[in-house]
Amino acid sequence: MRPLTLASATVLALLLVSWSASAAPGGKKRRQPTPATAAPTAVAQPAAPAASEAKPLSEALPSPWRQWSDPAGRKLDAAFCSLIGEVVTVQTRAGQTHRLYLGGLVPEDRAFAHDYAQRLKAKSFADAYVKQASYQIDYLIGSTLVGKGQKFNAPATDEQFVRRIYLDSAGRVPTAEEARTFLADATPNKRANLIDQLVYSPGYTMQMYNWLGDMLRVKDSFGKNVPAFTFEDWLKDQLAADRPWDELVRTMLTADGSLAENGATGFLLYDAQMPLDGVSNLLTTFLGANVACAQCHDHPLAEWSQKDFYQMAAFFGASDGYDEKSISQAKKLAKGKSSGPVLPKAGVQRIASANFFRMVDTPKQDLTFPKDYKYDDAKPGSAVAPALIRWSEADKKNPAYNVDTTNPAQLRDEFARWMTHADNPRFAANIANRVWKKAFGLAVQEPVTDIDDPKKASNPELLAHLAQIMKAGHFDLREFQRVIFNSQTYQRSASATPDLEKGPYLFPGPLVRRMSAEQVWDSLMVESVGPAVDQISLRRGDDMKLLALPGGAATPEAFKVVMDRVREADGMAALGGGNKKKGGGSEKGLISAYEGAKPQQRFGMILARASELPQPAAETHFLRVFGQSDRLIADTSTTDGSVPQALLMMNGGIGQLVSDPNCAAVVSASVGKTPDEKIDALYLAFLGRRPNTGERTATQAALRDGLALNDVAWTLANTREFLFIQ
Amino acid sequence: MNPDSLRDPLDRRTFVERCARYAFGLSVLPLLSKRSFAETVAAAQPLARGAGFGKAKHVIFLQLQGGLSHIDSFDPKTGDAKGPGNPIATSADFQVTQYLPETAKIANKLTVIRSMTAKVGVHANAQYLMRTGYEKRGTIVHPMLGAWAQHYLGRSHATLPATVCVGRPANHGNGYFPAGYSPLPILDPEEGLANSGSRVSADIQSKRLTLLQRLDATFSHQMPDENVRAYGDFYDTTLQLMKSSDLKAFDLAAEPGAMRESYGRNKFGQGCLLARRLVESGVRFVEVQSGGWDMHKGLEDSMEDKGGEFDRAFAALVSDLESRGLLDSTLVAVTTEFGRKPGFDGSGRGHHPLAFSTVLAGGGAKRGYVHGSSDEKGYGPASQEMTVGSFHATIGWAAGLPIEKEYLTPSGRPMAVGNKAKPSLEVFA
Repeated sequence: MRPLTLASATVLALLLVSWSASAAPGGKKRRQPTPATAAPTAVAQPAAPAASEAKPLSEALPSPWRQWSDPAGRKLDAAFCSLIGEVVTVQTRAGQTHRLYLGGLVPEDRAFAHDYAQRLKAKSFADAYVKQASYQIDYLIGSTLVGKGQKFNAPATDEQFVRRIYLDSAGRVPTAEEARTFLADATPNKRANLIDQLVYSPGYTMQMYNWLGDMLRVKDSFGKNVPAFTFEDWLKDQLAADRPWDELVRTMLTADGSLAENGATGFLLYDAQMPLDGVSNLLTTFLGANVACAQCHDHPLAEWSQKDFYQMAAFFGASDGYDEKSISQAKKLAKGKSSGPVLPKAGVQRIASANFFRMVDTPKQDLTFPKDYKYDDAKPGSAVAPALIRWSEADKKNPAYNVDTTNPAQLRDEFARWMTHADNPRFAANIANRVWKKAFGLAVQEPVTDIDDPKKASNPELLAHLAQIMKAGHFDLREFQRVIFNSQTYQRSASATPDLEKGPYLFPGPLVRRMSAEQVWDSLMVESVGPAVDQISLRRGDDMKLLALPGGAATPEAFKVVMDRVREADGMAALGGGNKKKGGGSEKGLISAYEGAKPQQRFGMILARASELPQPAAETHFLRVFGQSDRLIADTSTTDGSVPQALLMMNGGIGQLVSDPNCAAVVSASVGKTPDEKIDALYLAFLGRRPNTGERTATQAALRDGLALNDVAWTLANTREFLFIQ
Repeated sequence: MNPDSLRDPLDRRTFVERCARYAFGLSVLPLLSKRSFAETVAAAQPLARGAGFGKAKHVIFLQLQGGLSHIDSFDPKTGDAKGPGNPIATSADFQVTQYLPETAKIANKLTVIRSMTAKVGVHANAQYLMRTGYEKRGTIVHPMLGAWAQHYLGRSHATLPATVCVGRPANHGNGYFPAGYSPLPILDPEEGLANSGSRVSADIQSKRLTLLQRLDATFSHQMPDENVRAYGDFYDTTLQLMKSSDLKAFDLAAEPGAMRESYGRNKFGQGCLLARRLVESGVRFVEVQSGGWDMHKGLEDSMEDKGGEFDRAFAALVSDLESRGLLDSTLVAVTTEFGRKPGFDGSGRGHHPLAFSTVLAGGGAKRGYVHGSSDEKGYGPASQEMTVGSFHATIGWAAGLPIEKEYLTPSGRPMAVGNKAKPSLEVFA
């Protein structure tokens, strides 16, 4: 749903849902705050933390429910989820998420949203807990370093920190103004303040979406004619509303219905035609279980047998994502081979794929072992009974394993409960390990796709502690990141890429790393357009929702209803027809799918953040050349260099864009009163610091020698310092 | 120099580092003469091991996307399976169909493999199999042959990439090898290397680069990191490439008009000409893609159009390489996704992976030879069956790769060129 505006007022009446007394969404249990423990000091080996534990979360919030109104008197009953920038995200009792523009609401609602957002911030992890938990991180790392005769890196400078924290939390470099403000701030806890500010900024959602895009394979189309825009919108909503990770994963794994009805089905439907690959993917992504080989044969190195894999897959043996019968009926309709009206082929195909890629549970679980199964523990072709993998004997007593496998139609739900259970032996550690990697450039246990044996982690106690923080925060990824960003370890200067053959990296600080493709692009966007680029938002799922077939059946009548509905809403793009108005293939169609402000188009590029562009970007796009994942396989984005990258930065559209006199960073630098001020502004914009004496002299000389400020911008964008995060 | 130094990313870096001591030296690569590169690459070659091994210094991999109908091209049939085209005699003692008249004239330079077989009948997956020699899996990406070659043999030229793909992006590229092994993609042969020219005057460009060298120094001195250094190398290589006379290899305008005509004035024809220019200039592996072979309907017209384009370009390429003395050291492989069904419905044919044909020319392959056969209808292989893995192993053998050697991926999986299949050494003279 697009944000509520006057123009879409007619929709509002349809959305009215009456108040219900049942549990409110998003009402996380919050615990009592406790007083702060002593702040740690910067030493090579921090002292052991105090024994008394600070309680992580504060008390419960008041009800988020409200009847929202606009000045024209239209109303919507929904619970507040988040306020990001100018957009309020709310959820109705029916579970539908809506985005409302602050400006379109009555003043009381605006005040409520602001107030509730403040309360949410205030009621997150108590500062005392953040301090204690991050101190424990420093302590665990310090102890290991001392044990190996190593030292922490020096503390990062404010210049290093400001650039790093913007990139890690908002997904882009700070503007000159943002960097200048932070550097000039004399407040002692300015770093903690900036962290809190950034994890609630619009860029946070975009950054997280990009990161998850690689992990969850967020892709505009799963195949021919199967657009997944509703999944994309759904995921953006979850992030904006700060849904906890366990809830988000559980929702994806238990989602029912079609993409037209329920965007959350997108994760499972991606693999609807290859369900075994799907199981392998989700075990790897959510549990770090290295099962890929066991799909075809007993794993040569890890514990898992092919039988283990099939027993896990059996939890999905009663679920089906591809309704072959209805697809074939729809094809007949399109060919006019059925009674009733003859319908346009392209439209029927689009409607069919939006409806019949559909997660359903059947009463029968019918997975069988392969016909060429070659081990003695099961007969080829025999039925597989669902059973959960165990990492240790202790798992037998683990409450997460308390699942009921008697009802085939419930198997998927039972599996999801086990997987996302706080006591699942790997679920919390897996996501903690992955988020840590995002911040530090290397996971505590590598590869992140195999944490079957946590003893192999570079610091097993640290991994256990991170899993504990994840659980204490009820899988709130924003809170988890607040903790690690506030650690002194994160706030140290970066190490060069270590040679892991010589031993594990023990985290004396983060690693220096090339920005992700999205970070490079998003940084260049903010240089070129300014921070307003954070407000540009692409939503393409709405037209897809129009495609839901009434009754869910492939009848000519149902198709006709949908086609009329689409025609009425002027959402022809949803049908893939000639009039591609929204979200279709054409660039013009894409532009019209942006909410509110439209992005600029220059040098053949749409100037929006990576999360607000096609997923993934086109094959020749800057993002792909810089290593954005093709989203065919999870975790495949790269940060390797290449010749085409250098060509793009120097001579391509992006090189022209940053060296254009209209480049935002150049424009704002040019208002400086002296050449030094101008040079400072460009350095701050691109590198988050001011130039040293030699650099200043060289830049001044170049400016006297015929180069203009826009040439300096080009030059700074082409330095390696720009591309790398220190 | 340790001959293995070009095979391992870390050692390769040591090599580059040795040559490039300057922090962001814009003048590094001129020090690195072609001669020193050639010597290093030669030293990295394993010893010759029998017929055909290592003869192909270059490989041109033609990929007919959509599924070339074997029966309507290189494996004509009579009876029910026969399509709209008639068989014609060639300069060798085998026939092709009437859609390949130019190819018929050079048949005495070709090895036709009529016993290819696979199980994958889906386009994307079959393309993947043909490029990598491995079936597509949800959890790993395999490298293409060019990347394997770079892994074992290093670069093939000081400034040009070792692998180029024409008419397609660089997916199915480096796989689990470093990104540097990824093919350089040329989407449009007429356009050549995109963004290879500076957008500003030589004066401004030179001043920018001078300033860049100065401003880049601070960070590279402070941060002795291998990835940071690698980017310096990429920029050096790129700047060198931009100035290099080798860049002309990408420029078809340098070819005489008659030569351009002889390949056919279409994307595939010009792509083949570009491939010849590139291997002539020292690029080891070039893939050229041709789309439009998925002939479910209108096969007769399509074979005349697409088949005609292919026929002309392929014959021109083989003849051109021969006349330049490059055919013995260049292996041209005609590949596709799969074959098409023996049942011709009067209009077209469906996908059929169980039997299809590929062709080899040059690089030590026999001349005027048919390897293997399909059955009477062209439904399945009848003799000397060849899998895609075996086809890859055969090309790998010709290119001098240690095909039996296992490589452990970062996740610890053992891999080899052609998935450890046996090469068919019978195809070599």
